Amino acid sequence: MTHPESLPRKVALLANCLMNQNAKVCEGARYRGLVNPVVEALRSRGYELQQLPCPELAFAGVRRWWAVYEQYDTPAYRAHCRRLAQAIAPLIEQHLRRGDEVILIGLDGSPSTGVRFTSSKPDWGGRPNRPEDDWDIVPRRGVWIEELEAELARRGLPPLPATGWALDMGRFDEAGSRRDLEQFLDSREAAAGPPGDDPAAP
Amino acid sequence: MNGDARGWRMALVPDTLINPRTLARAALPDALEVLEVLEASGYGVLQLPPAGKHGLLLAVIADQVAEYAHHGYAVVAIGVRGEPGGGLHWRRLAPLLRHRGVAPPPRHLIRPDVDAAAERQRLAGFLSGYDLPVEEQRRWRV
Repeated sequence: MTHPESLPRKVALLANCLMNQNAKVCEGARYRGLVNPVVEALRSRGYELQQLPCPELAFAGVRRWWAVYEQYDTPAYRAHCRRLAQAIAPLIEQHLRRGDEVILIGLDGSPSTGVRFTSSKPDWGGRPNRPEDDWDIVPRRGVWIEELEAELARRGLPPLPATGWALDMGRFDEAGSRRDLEQFLDSREAAAGPPGDDPAAP
Repeated sequence: MNGDARGWRMALVPDTLINPRTLARAALPDALEVLEVLEASGYGVLQLPPAGKHGLLLAVIADQVAEYAHHGYAVVAIGVRGEPGGGLHWRRLAPLLRHRGVAPPPRHLIRPDVDAAAERQRLAGFLSGYDLPVEEQRRWRV
């Protein structure tokens, strides 16, 4: 008989703030602590949760200014992100090497943790005097996700299926975000076929 | 903070209490869903890694705890009685925190071998009863 511990698992890497909204930049928290719709959607489908470190909190602090991709796109911030990636990569590698299914849920619109979208405004800088939400949303990874993916690639690991919870896209639409996430998760289950048919190894 | 919903409280939580596959969690009763209790209590989560050597990751987590602790956030730790270090890597983590000028946070230990409903209630009581002194809250939480 196969021991359950040896069976492939389903593991979701989560942007830090999806489990702890206290990590958000000031005025960015939409929940008290856990983002329950994300946690529920994943756990109800059998995913284990692996929280990623928050790169912005550890770099610029809890009282940091709002920022866009271009402001974090610096050698020092990328070096910091690489250090965090090296801290968490061994856990991810361990899962992938044993054949677990690993997915990534980031935070769309975030300059660091965006997966499908990040925030961009090349002329932001200097005195923080932007009363209006005048940044743009552009289709690209955030800086932290770029560095995390680069670290996994350096270790010879395959790209992870990924999506983002659209918390930082300007106007937050929880129902739309939930639909999006559930579609992503359900499409993976549909592609994998009935339980037992999926080799799961990347 | 205008329109900001953060709860200003968070818990260090062992992997074994978050993920049902790990052996210790499998021994915990289903009724004791720690994430549910944390969510209902308005706490965020800082997840500790499973057993093993995770020196750099623990240092990264300690950096984050220090940043929170120095700026008006309440941090607690939820451990599991019977797990080494409560599942919290306590022997590594506590010195890392002290080195950053942070006293190790108050710890609540889950007892896997007693009535789950009572344990759940005990955890909820601990979480709701803990926060920083009011003057500290007033200083930071504007």
